Amino acid sequence: MNEVIGIIIAAILCWLNFVIVDTYFGLPEQSGVRGARIIGKDVEKRGGDIAGGFFQGNILCSPDASAGTLMASIGYMLLGIPGGIIAAFLVFIGNRLCADPGYAGTTGCLTATAIIFLTSFIGLTPEMFIVGMVIAIFTIMGIDQAKVSVVLGKIAKKFNRHARE
Amino acid sequence: MAYIVAIVCSIVVALVLRLPLLPSKPYRYSFDVSALYPTPIIAIGILSIFLVLNYTFMYNGLVLAAVIGVLSALFVKYLFDFVFPKPLDENAGEDMNE
Repeated sequence: MNEVIGIIIAAILCWLNFVIVDTYFGLPEQSGVRGARIIGKDVEKRGGDIAGGFFQGNILCSPDASAGTLMASIGYMLLGIPGGIIAAFLVFIGNRLCADPGYAGTTGCLTATAIIFLTSFIGLTPEMFIVGMVIAIFTIMGIDQAKVSVVLGKIAKKFNRHARE
Repeated sequence: MAYIVAIVCSIVVALVLRLPLLPSKPYRYSFDVSALYPTPIIAIGILSIFLVLNYTFMYNGLVLAAVIGVLSALFVKYLFDFVFPKPLDENAGEDMNE
């Protein structure tokens, strides 16, 4: 498959994977640590959504499904499916060191491994997923935090995971 | 195949050691260990490290999978809180109405 098209497809799949898993496991609902809450309040002050702000803060402060997807792609590139599972194990250790229960990270890692395995039949390589995941995180954190947080807040509302206030 | 043996073995041994099947409520924020999480994750993680290193012992790694399943259940039951303590300030993220 053409590399550019593959990277675009991989970026979309990664974005959906980690946003859905993270939202389902309640990242927008509450801030796990103090740093995440400060980021959330700051994003809200700049015209964003508090739930989206907590989401971004939690992604920044501990390895969640975003880091899980990235680590799973790297592990899969190096060692195949066992690499993805080892990545889930390492993400779990990292979660516990960051005072995070770790459900989102490990689940995201395993689902990402499954997605990479399934899409390898249509010609997507793990390298495309690494690049795609970097692009996906860039769209969440890098372009316009306030506007993206509004979108994330809407997704959170749809999953019934909006911040309780 | 060895993965399924490791997962089943770890869950069964964890239940025999009287770990609860599911974490205590609320599910998504609980730090308590349980049979479904994180025991199988630890078991398959360590098993795949052995498989990647091409160490499979007997019967294509089935015996190894069973041993790792038992050991990871024992680890979660007796050593987990010592290695990964729960966060000290449990309400750090919950007081949102300040």
